[in-house]
Amino acid sequence: MAAQGTHEVQPLADLESHSDRAWNLAWNPKHPLIASCSADKTVRLSSYASSSGNTLAPKTVRAVAWSPSGKTLATASFDSNVGIWEQEQDEDEDDEDGDVDMTGQKGLGNGEWECIGTLEGHETECKSVAYSSTGTLLASCSRDKSVWIWEVQPDAEFECMGVLLEHSQDVKCVAWHPHEEILASGSYDDTIKLYVDDPSDDWYCFTTLKGHESTVWSIAWSPCGRYLASASDDKTVRIWAYAAAASDGGADSKNKVLQVKPPSVISSSQGDGRWVQVAVLDSHERSVYSVSWGKGNNGSGLGWLASAGGDGTIRVWDVQESEDSSIALNPKLIASYPEAHGVFDVNCVSWNPRAGMEDVFATAADDGSVKIWRINPSKEAGSD
Amino acid sequence: MAFSGALACIKPVEQTDKKPEEKYVGAKTEIVVDSSGSYYEVASEGAVQLNNTSAQIDNEASTGTKLEQAQISLNDCLACSGCITSAESILITLQSHAEVFTFLDSNKDATEGTKKLPVLSIAPQPLASLAASLTASACSSSSSSAAPPITPHQVLRRVQAFCREALGIAHVFDTTFARHLALREHLLEFEERKAKDKLGGEAAQGQLPMLASACPGWICYAEKAHSEMLPFISRTKSPQQVMGTLVKEWVGKHAGFTPDKVYHVSVMPCYDKKLEASRQDFYNDVYSTRDVDCVITTGELELMMREKGWDLAQPVPGELDEEAEAVNAESTALPELIQHAGSSSGSYLMSIIEHLQRESAVPLTLSSKIMRNADYEEFTLTVAGSGKTVFKGAKCYGFRNLQNVVRKVGRERGVRTAGGAAGRLAGRAGAGVGRRLKKAGGGGDDDGGKDKQYDYVEVMACPGGCVNGGGQLKPVLPKPQESGVDEEGYPRDWVQTGVVLPETETEMGATTALRADVDPPSVAAIESGVVTNAKWGDKDWTRRVEAAYWLDGSLESMGQAGVQCDEEGSGAAEIKMNGGPHDPDAPPRTGTISSTRQVINDNGGLDTLRAMGGGREGPTVSGRTGGRLNVKSDATSAERRRSAQRVRKQRWAEKLADRVLKELCGSDNDAVKNRHRFFRTEYHAVESDVGGLAVKW
Repeated sequence: MAAQGTHEVQPLADLESHSDRAWNLAWNPKHPLIASCSADKTVRLSSYASSSGNTLAPKTVRAVAWSPSGKTLATASFDSNVGIWEQEQDEDEDDEDGDVDMTGQKGLGNGEWECIGTLEGHETECKSVAYSSTGTLLASCSRDKSVWIWEVQPDAEFECMGVLLEHSQDVKCVAWHPHEEILASGSYDDTIKLYVDDPSDDWYCFTTLKGHESTVWSIAWSPCGRYLASASDDKTVRIWAYAAAASDGGADSKNKVLQVKPPSVISSSQGDGRWVQVAVLDSHERSVYSVSWGKGNNGSGLGWLASAGGDGTIRVWDVQESEDSSIALNPKLIASYPEAHGVFDVNCVSWNPRAGMEDVFATAADDGSVKIWRINPSKEAGSD
Repeated sequence: MAFSGALACIKPVEQTDKKPEEKYVGAKTEIVVDSSGSYYEVASEGAVQLNNTSAQIDNEASTGTKLEQAQISLNDCLACSGCITSAESILITLQSHAEVFTFLDSNKDATEGTKKLPVLSIAPQPLASLAASLTASACSSSSSSAAPPITPHQVLRRVQAFCREALGIAHVFDTTFARHLALREHLLEFEERKAKDKLGGEAAQGQLPMLASACPGWICYAEKAHSEMLPFISRTKSPQQVMGTLVKEWVGKHAGFTPDKVYHVSVMPCYDKKLEASRQDFYNDVYSTRDVDCVITTGELELMMREKGWDLAQPVPGELDEEAEAVNAESTALPELIQHAGSSSGSYLMSIIEHLQRESAVPLTLSSKIMRNADYEEFTLTVAGSGKTVFKGAKCYGFRNLQNVVRKVGRERGVRTAGGAAGRLAGRAGAGVGRRLKKAGGGGDDDGGKDKQYDYVEVMACPGGCVNGGGQLKPVLPKPQESGVDEEGYPRDWVQTGVVLPETETEMGATTALRADVDPPSVAAIESGVVTNAKWGDKDWTRRVEAAYWLDGSLESMGQAGVQCDEEGSGAAEIKMNGGPHDPDAPPRTGTISSTRQVINDNGGLDTLRAMGGGREGPTVSGRTGGRLNVKSDATSAERRRSAQRVRKQRWAEKLADRVLKELCGSDNDAVKNRHRFFRTEYHAVESDVGGLAVKW
């Protein structure tokens, strides 16, 4: 079907399918690699060109995340653990495990990928995992309602920095702020919670975002870090921002002017503003399972937001700030692609984070497949 | 889980129904689970009134009363949430203050011969909690800025008066003598383990570090999630269970009662103590009775007093008198409120350190280092001259630090860190890490052995330790009632105690921080000046309870120390010398208990674990003088007298402990066996059912 909007979604590649639903994928930030995971209990690493190898986990692997260095992969698994995987540097011991048959990957040497550590602590299925922007912290969440924060230490060691039991239900996703140490989590309790570290104490939840009417499946920070998008079972994508009274808004004393401010550890927890909902995107017809916020390649605005879910349609939005004083956003749907994986639910959409590839994203779906897509300006419409 | 942990640490059971007493009465109820997973208590005969807040429950369950989660599970304990079995939860439901009332009523009418001897034991942390609460209430209701602090000693006297006059319980003890016995056994066990560890090889496996066993939240968590830690956990019973043995086997016997004819209630800072008392290991098969029959929390004791109309703020005659030492060798009087220097969670680590210093042929220097936060602190004993480390221990409180100790011990001692599927993965991971580390040219010992492994860790599940237990009273902060905002700055409807407003509860973080566009409740929050950051209030409160814990009960200190009331509610409770006269005739302060209770009642989501750090204990663990308040005093004769008193009490405790051991265990060949039977226990790994459920997304 034809795309609507100013851009179109172009299929680039189909990766070798998983044998059960594909849950999540992660672009390696440094190397031409995609990691995808599945209910078939494998994590598959695919280079852009050639295909892949599997590594077996004991249970469904629900989510994968690369460290910013691109050298370490974390997996969130239904065995309740987070697995930490790195590639063997040397070839000197060729230990054939049978379980691990990951072989040579372009751009990352030929070492075997091995599980160098597990983070135990969750009582039940681990649902999501994420590295902070500097790679020094790792967060995970689980059906046990908890969010755990670990500090990454040398020699595959991790120190537990916090166990946050703020949600009243299954926690579905965690996402770190792109440059601050602020963590967001989304849950079956319909809320999003934001956490920061108290340097003299522990991590704590400093705010709760309420508005979604059902499960929050996915969270994505804007590349600038001032906005947060969330995808929900209530069929909407919502965008949130930290707004405070403008410091120069004295002239209009009656209607205080709110401005979106960059969240920081200080302002978020102690500032005088608050988190507000600045946009609701409700064009999905079914649950929205995933949202990803990329830079886009048009060089202006807040970037491109991609969303996908139960209706099988990929939607791509261009997000620009309002030109008047309103803090509300009015994202423009620039492209959509129905039946991206046929009749199957799309579980994950993710922009390529690497420079020069901002217009490329990938999707993972219930049919087990992982597909790569590119956003091109439509032929009819003028480029934006 | 997270344990509880935590909530963040821990939330007391909230009474949402207005007439709890009627619901608990009688054991003829069943707990049913409906299709939505809610629990209902259903009377086996006849319907129970429907809780008015649960309008849309299934037909099936609608004949019952929806139970608050906290009544049947220990979600408030981060160490246990979600993982206790239904059998355990029913046992715990049966341990309530209402059960105590039920027993006392039936015992009143019991015929001679079936009448039981009621005994109540209260741990020092609940006394500290009540003392801090009374002091804070007195501060906020009195116009003067300084009021004499209420001491645990006074509270004990008042609780004894309450039990005697309102409940008819004549025997009320604190548990510090039981702790004294426990610490002795604990030292013996440490020496045994140290000796085995020295042998090396097989025998040394799982001996050191010895991990404290007094925290039932930690035990429960270790049994369910970290069975590899069980060999390291001290076999010595907790003070509660030693008290159980003491009361049933010794005090009862001397009073002419068999163990089953003694009804033993303990008052604990922690819900998990109920779980501990319910353990099969503490069941006496011969007499079909438990060492502790019913465990209630500090909050539940307070509720009992409220229901009986007892005002704990009222002084009782003689409450400032010194304890009379039992002179009669046959007396079963127990020394009261023995202070063991160290931590307010039982001083397990410090008792070992002091023991080692005492026993050492050469002088040992103690140094300590705060790790990530005050709840994780390392203690090292070095030989004064050579600097050689002879002992390394740590105190480690809170679920998060506990995680790190489990990982550290697992790594250092080479035990696998989990079971089940996780174990398989970890096994493979272990191989990988091993390879890697080998290549790196070392193991964990990067400092070439300088980094000595732990010999002992005082593990507690709650941040701040037992003074911050989940069963303790909620903080009392100034003027919460007037503003309609509670102690954490949450807007509250005080009229409807027990009804939690979820909107305000969860919105809180957003609204109180707001100025540009405020919702009405947050206006109140800002105007009232109440602390907006919940965890600070709690942390500060923990510090106050900690301070109260170490208050000396003697008359002299009472007359000279005053507690500085902090109107902001944000500073630490600072005990200062003001030389002011103590006024024993101070008018009774009415209303203090009820205001405290409001705070207790009103308490939100049970799944929420606030991450709350315990305060640094200041003087309590930093040196050999530990265990006293930081009272700046010109070393007066009063001070010397107090210290002489303490020495006397210690001597009394030692002497009595010898006697109790001899009477209980005998001195023949079976003495050791008997001692183990009375003072040690076992732990059992619980199979995890992780992965047993078919979760698809």
